[in-house]
Formats: sequence, structure tokens, C-alpha cells
Amino acid sequence: MALVWNPQFHSISSQPSICGWKHGISSNILEHRRELGLSYSRYNWVQQRTARSFLFRALSKSANSDEDKVVKTETEINGWKNSIGKLQETIKSFPPVVFVMKKDVGINFAIGLCVATTILVVAVRVYVARKVSSSRPGSVADLVRRGQLRSDRRGISSPLKYEDPFNNPLVKVGKSNSTVEMCGKVYRLAPVTLTKEQQAIHQKRRSRAYQWKRPTMFLKEGDSIPSDVDPDTVRWIPANHPFATTASEIDEGLAQNNVYQKHGVPFRIQAEHEALQRKLEALQSEQKLNKLVIDPTNAKDFERPFKHLTSHEQAGQGPSNRIGSDSSPEEMQKP
Amino acid sequence: MLSPQLLPKTPNPLSSIYTPNPFKSLNPKTLKPSKPNFKPKPHNPTTIQSVLQWNRKPQLAGDTPRVVVITSGKGGVGKTTTTANVGLSLARLGFSVVAIDADVGLRNLDLLLGLENRVNYTVVEVLNGDCRLDQALVRDKRWSNFELLCISKPRSKLPIGFGGKALTWLVDALKAREEGSPDFILIDCPAGIDAGFITAIAPANEAVLVTTPDITSLRDADRVTGLLECDGIKDIKMIVNRVRTDMIKGEDMMSVLDVQEMLGLALLGVIPEDSEVIRSTNRGYPLVLNKPPTLAGLAFEQAAWRLVEQDSMQAVVVEEEPKKRGFFSFFGG
Repeated sequence: MALVWNPQFHSISSQPSICGWKHGISSNILEHRRELGLSYSRYNWVQQRTARSFLFRALSKSANSDEDKVVKTETEINGWKNSIGKLQETIKSFPPVVFVMKKDVGINFAIGLCVATTILVVAVRVYVARKVSSSRPGSVADLVRRGQLRSDRRGISSPLKYEDPFNNPLVKVGKSNSTVEMCGKVYRLAPVTLTKEQQAIHQKRRSRAYQWKRPTMFLKEGDSIPSDVDPDTVRWIPANHPFATTASEIDEGLAQNNVYQKHGVPFRIQAEHEALQRKLEALQSEQKLNKLVIDPTNAKDFERPFKHLTSHEQAGQGPSNRIGSDSSPEEMQKP
Repeated sequence: MLSPQLLPKTPNPLSSIYTPNPFKSLNPKTLKPSKPNFKPKPHNPTTIQSVLQWNRKPQLAGDTPRVVVITSGKGGVGKTTTTANVGLSLARLGFSVVAIDADVGLRNLDLLLGLENRVNYTVVEVLNGDCRLDQALVRDKRWSNFELLCISKPRSKLPIGFGGKALTWLVDALKAREEGSPDFILIDCPAGIDAGFITAIAPANEAVLVTTPDITSLRDADRVTGLLECDGIKDIKMIVNRVRTDMIKGEDMMSVLDVQEMLGLALLGVIPEDSEVIRSTNRGYPLVLNKPPTLAGLAFEQAAWRLVEQDSMQAVVVEEEPKKRGFFSFFGG
């Protein structure tokens, strides 16, 4: 019976205060209440429980004698005690703070104060941390705020030489050597396992797979191979290749000399200059120079671009010198 | 991206993994003293002490000038970006560098360096005798020991007769110049393996192969490596560019170690994918000069470091670890 009852009372009356004054009441009332409880349960509880309570009521009504009732009531009470005990144990196993707070207002207040202080400290700390990270005085963030700097270019916009490449605080190797921290992220390291033997095997494989001789001569497609050249060392170049233009005006030896030249006027500049000079000399010798000489009287009309020069200087200046200088368009038009 | 270098002196169980290669031959012409500025921790000498390579100046290995061709086979993998960044890193480390843009038809290095308005003369003019070689060298104002030399102007063409020899002459002329031979001559190779490639690799002693962790790029890289080896360039190291650790973690991208397994080349550097690369290109300001430094910039800097010392990576970054957060991190700590 008790086995049947216990779960019922657990479910119906979960309040210990009700259980307390039930001991002195006759079993009829108790039973009545039980019925009330059961009827209540019938409406509200799930189907399974209702069926079980129906079975329980039938059983309790079948007991006729008072002794039986008394015994049953004692059993019930024992059952209650057990359940209450369990309940109390459960309550005892709760964190004591809640009950302590109910008992003692002073301690309660102290705990409340502690909690409030903690929350306040946390809040202040978060606030300060955010403030420090967002607005360090004088940082680049200030420039962004003032509109001097676009925030999307932050990464590369600060003054860009960093003086000491040998001291970088952004990279740290972990103590165990298995990790490295770079720019705030920790990476796991793995050892390189390539051995010399493996390298040699790969080299051998490649030497079998690719047999190649570097061409030393480039020829345009369609050219004929010079007689002293090994055909294996010729690289044929299609006509649209950047190398394929050109019949160069200078030969190879001259080009090499040009590369090696350290001082003086570059070859072509000098050659052009000399050619020009030869031309002028030729002109002079043919007495055509008179036409090129600027008549000092006529030159006065054109003084404006040459204000800094005296007319004497203009007269003395040879046309060969003039060509190299920056002349104005007006000057160029002059014969 | 970066590999830690352990101090060789410190005994440690992982040293077989991490100890750097011994330098092949240290050049006496190191910039600043060979005394590394390590920061030992005297109180605990037995701990594994790993230092990153910033803590000392790199020691120049090999004979100068080191003529390095930066090539890939495939286009668009980052040869020019690598040349610009490694070149400027080397300049910042104190070495004199001449970067030659050997891409005849399609030069871009000047754009990346922001020097496009200063290129008046090119190698074509030098060959033709319109200017001297020193007039064609464009000195970077940010780091005066960095100079740029373009082979030709866009749309102009190189005379076919000595296309292949032009760069060899240039390197010889640079070696013999009055202010001293540059420490590094970096040649930015054009994509492909035709005449431009042949011209670019002609004077080189060593090569840096730039590849991305995808199969198309790897096949070309393998071919190019084969050709370089046939040409007698044995010192070939690779830079794996545009690596995404998140995709590697999700098995969507080959890891650097996979790439290495396929090519069998020593690693000079691993460059993570970084949006700053595009921004710096737009700006004409190489990544390595960025402040604050970016991940890719740091990686380029480290690659330059290894290039100086003829070293290779001993450990690679495989994936990102979730950062451990403290208990109070929830409360803004």
C-alpha cells in the first residue's frame, strides 16, 4: 500500500506545512481530502497519474475496519515522514545562501554588497579596457577621428620605416618550442622532415624527367642558323615576342661596351652629338652658315625669351650650342 | 611562416629538429660583428632557449654578389612581390641590393616598389648607348642601398641578338662598379620558360622558387626546378606563398610539408595569405616596411634572413591554435 501511496502524496501535497497538521485529523477527512486531491488531479494531471489514483481510491475504500484504518494512517504518516525527510534533505543540500539570507538580514546585506561591488568592479574594468583600447591618447585612432586618415588604410598608413628590424615584439616563440605567437595569434609548429636523401631522390627524378640545355642564342623564326652555332643551343622565338623585334643598330661588342661604360657621355649621345657637329661643320664649310647666324639687329625683336642674355652673347652663341638648349616655340619657328 | 632558431649551444632534445644548418662559408664581409646579441637567461640555463632571428644581425654566407633568380614557372604566384619584399628586407638588414626586373614585356616590380615614376632609363637604353648603367639604376629613397633596374619599358623590345647575354653583362658590370659590388642581385624572372626565363636565369648562381600550395603551380615549379638543375643551378630553395592555415586545418589545402614532399626542395619561407599584400601593392609600399608589421611581411623578412645565411626552415607553422584565455578574460581581462 505504502508503495502505492507514497508517490501520490509526493505529487499532491508538496508543501510540508499542510502535512504538519494532517496528523491529528481523522482518516475520513484525510480520505476526503485525498479524494479532493485526487479529483483535482483527475482534471489536471496527465492520464497516467489519474489512472493510478483511481486504483488507489478503490483500494482505500475496500478497507472496512477502523484498525485497518489506523494502521493504514500510521503507514501513511510514516510514509509522509519519509517523504518529508527526503524533502528536508533535499533542502539541506541546496546552496545555503538562499536560506541564510532569509534568516539573517545583516549577512544578507553584506553578501548583496559584495555582489554589487563585484559587478561594479567588472563594469569599471570593462569600461576602462575599452576606453584604453579605443582611445589611447595620441594614437593613430585620433587621426582617424579627426578625419586626417582614412580608417580603412590604417594598416599601412603609419610612418613606415621601422628602425630596428632586429627587435620585433610581435613574434614570440612558446616556451615548449611547439608554438609561435605572431601578431596576437598562436600557431602550432611542425618540424620539417625533408632529408638530404629525399632531396637527392627528387633531383635524380627531375634529371631523368627534364633534360634540357639552356639555349644561348635566340633566333627569330625563319632565320638561318649561323654555321658556327650548335643547333641545340638555339632558341627559336616567334615574331611577336618582345625579343623578336629588332635588328639592332649596334652590334654585340658595342652593346657590351655600353653596359660596361662607367664614365663619360653614353655612346649614342656622343655619336649623335658628333654627327650633328659634323653636319654643322659641313654647313659652315659650304658657307651656308651666314643664314643661320642671327643678325644682332633683328634679334632685338626676339629678345623677350632671352632677356637674361645680352645681345652680344646672342651674337656670339653658335647655333650648335643652341640646338641642345630648350628653345621656345617662337625661336623654333625662326629660320 | 617563421621558424624559430635554437641557439646551437643549448643542449636540448629537440635540437635535431630545430638546429639550423651550419653556414656553408661565412663571408668576412658581414655588416656588423658576428657576435650575436643573444639574451641568455642565466637563472635557468638548461631550458630550451629558442630565439627568433631578430636578435642578431644575419651573417652573409657565400660569395658576393649573390645572384639570385626568383622564378616560379606559373604566373601570378608572387614572384614580383617576393622580389620586392625580400629585396627591401635585405636592404633593411644592411646589404646593398640591386633588383633587376627581367620581365621584358610586362614589368611590374617598379609598381610594387612605388618607383614607376622614376624609371627613365632601362637596360635597353644602356645597351643602345643612350645612357650609362649607373643612370639606369633607380635608387630607392627609403633605403638607399636598394636599387632597381628594369630591363625594358613596357611595349619596348629587347634586341634579339644579345637578349640572352644582356643580363650576364649587367651582372659583370655591377660586380666591377666603383662603389663596390652589390651584396645581392635579385632577378625577377618572368613567368613561363621561354626566352625571358632563359635570359633571367643565365647569370644566376642560386634560385628561389616561388610556389603556391596548389597542384597547377606545383607542376610548373617542378618543371622549372628541373630546368634550373639542368642549367647547373643547384642551390634552389622554395618559398610557399599564399598559405592559409585555416584551409590546411580543414584539409582543403595542401600543407607546406605536403608541398615539400612533392618538390623535395628546402624551404626558404612560408608566406601566409594576407590582404595587406594587395593594399601594399596598391600603395607602392612593400609589406616589409609596414608598421605595424603584418604576418606576410614578417614572413618575408624571415625569408630574407635565411637567404642571407643560406639557411632553410627547420620548422613550419601548420595551423592556428585557439589562444588560451584567462579566467577573467570573460570580464574584459
